[in-house]
Amino acid sequence: MRSASRWVALAVGVALVLAFPLVSPNAYILSAAVVILHYAVLSTSWNVVGGFTGYISLGHAAYFGLGAYGTALLITRAGVPSFLALGLAGLVVAVLAVPIGIAALRVRGASFVIVSIALVLILLLVFQSWREVTGGSDGLVVPRPFPELLRPQHHLVFFYLFAALLALVLLAWWTIDRSRFGMGLKAIREDEDKAQALGVPTFAYKLAAFVLSATFTALGGGMYALWFGDLDPVFQFSILIGSYMVLMALLGGVRHLFGPVLGALVVGVALEFFKQQYGDTQFHLVATGLLLGVVVLFMPDGVIPAVRGLLARRGPQQSSIREVSAAELQKERVP
Amino acid sequence: MTAGLETRELTKAFGGVVAVDHATVSFRHGKVNALIGPNGSGKTTFFNCVTGMIRPDSGTASYRGKDITRTAPHRVAAAGIGRSFQLCRIFPRMTVMENLLAAVRPQGIGALLRRSGGAADVERARGWLHRVGIDHLEAAEARDLSYGQQKLLELAGVLMAEPETIMLDEPAGGVNPALIDRIAALVRELNAEGRTFIVVEHNMELVMSLSDHVVVFDRGRPIAEGPPADVQSDPAVLEAYLGV
Ligand SMILES: Nc1ncnc2c1ncn2[C@@H]1O[C@H](COP(=O)(O)OP(=O)(O)OP(=O)(O)O)[C@@H](O)[C@H]1O
Ligand SMILES: [Mg+2]
Repeated sequence: MRSASRWVALAVGVALVLAFPLVSPNAYILSAAVVILHYAVLSTSWNVVGGFTGYISLGHAAYFGLGAYGTALLITRAGVPSFLALGLAGLVVAVLAVPIGIAALRVRGASFVIVSIALVLILLLVFQSWREVTGGSDGLVVPRPFPELLRPQHHLVFFYLFAALLALVLLAWWTIDRSRFGMGLKAIREDEDKAQALGVPTFAYKLAAFVLSATFTALGGGMYALWFGDLDPVFQFSILIGSYMVLMALLGGVRHLFGPVLGALVVGVALEFFKQQYGDTQFHLVATGLLLGVVVLFMPDGVIPAVRGLLARRGPQQSSIREVSAAELQKERVP
Repeated sequence: MTAGLETRELTKAFGGVVAVDHATVSFRHGKVNALIGPNGSGKTTFFNCVTGMIRPDSGTASYRGKDITRTAPHRVAAAGIGRSFQLCRIFPRMTVMENLLAAVRPQGIGALLRRSGGAADVERARGWLHRVGIDHLEAAEARDLSYGQQKLLELAGVLMAEPETIMLDEPAGGVNPALIDRIAALVRELNAEGRTFIVVEHNMELVMSLSDHVVVFDRGRPIAEGPPADVQSDPAVLEAYLGV
């Protein structure tokens, strides 16, 4: 019964997404939807390492940028067909993520956050100054994969491409979530040393999740390059994009399959709204910062669990074993 | 006699404090061993060095003839040594059942990606929860358990990994007398089934009734070892405890 209603909800959700381009009134709305889908891909990819292990990377823009530039350069420099270039760029980032992960995952907590940021800043400088290859801040134009398509059709095709990529990343997250591998990752999030003492090869697990996460993020970046068609290091390797991924995942809830998607929807719509309302000001920066603060402080588990908790409190009282145990605790402690 | 856990000249200093000082110890394999000593005598640090949680400065540790010095904790676990922590450590935001499932050790990529909580694993987990007496709490979140229940949960988690040698750091610390009896009975049963125990404990009554072999630490060194009755009357031990 419960699982049946779940399948129905999933089918309705998929149908709504697939039908959206048909009902979307204009090309602008469709392009905004593509942006939101691309956020959902990035945020869900981030959640493969951030959600399961609790290693908060603020620098996932590094893999986004590497995927984007990797795809673009393979097309422009090596003449590789667009989607083959995308796949190859993902592979290259997977290989690069191994040594990066080995170095970065040695430190935990705040130190890991800082290491992850440092990487983005380094890549930003490299891609800005290495003008002969990357075009520096003049940007890099990525040839369109379907030059014959007009703008609305271009958005339409990429809407479905991003939706397919999102489905792939969600499937991967779901598979890990219910697997023994996933249980090991969650044990790391809870207490890494304890997990290792129980026999979980914590470093190998973290690294595998990290590489997978970086690879999916790179595929999101490569797809973005093919869709947007113009790259600039300032936008590709930005702390802001990395922060969005974290914010969206935390907002929606890192323990929930669709948490990051929900977060992407909320933040994506809000960002578009602010851009419409106030133009391209720095206001969205302030809003992002505030939102990140509010979520971390008041809803560390995200919106879904917070709302669930609220509903549970409204609903019929569940007997709390915590109350029982508080009394028992008193009894059991040696005086 | 089979070689069990042995250390040779094991040493670990924190700055100027030599927590474990050239400790050469061999525990009786297949028996219940106790490791006792005054507060700060290096018992926990010794556990941490042996299980790979911290790297000793010098010396060696071996288990069943195999060197395990500076071996990563998960490899020590794979070699057959399980441990509990002095301040009970569980996965607070997992259910009781998940706490045990996290201790399942899958072999190979296929097994890793298989669904956690398969019938066989759940069956085995229920068996251990039943034995420690918290099977009725299977679906509860671990952080909602009482301290005593959490200690039992930690023990069940350690057992889920099927270690042949179990190192317990103060299993009776902070729990009520009835629970101490239950834990003691469990240790005896598990020992009768062939598991070796190395137990750090301050409760002398428990140590004397439970153990076959006692090792006494003082300032990071073993100062006496033998059957509980002999150790109890050893002058060096009395001196260490009375701090003369
Ligand atoms: N991480 C650490 N950093 C610095 N000093 C430490 C550390 N761990 C232990 N020590 C010191 O090493 C010595 C031995 O400590 P340890 O915890 O091993 O003793 P113990 O025998 O387990 O004591 P207790 O019975 O109180 O648990 C103590 O002086 C302690 O202060
Ligand atoms: Mg101790």
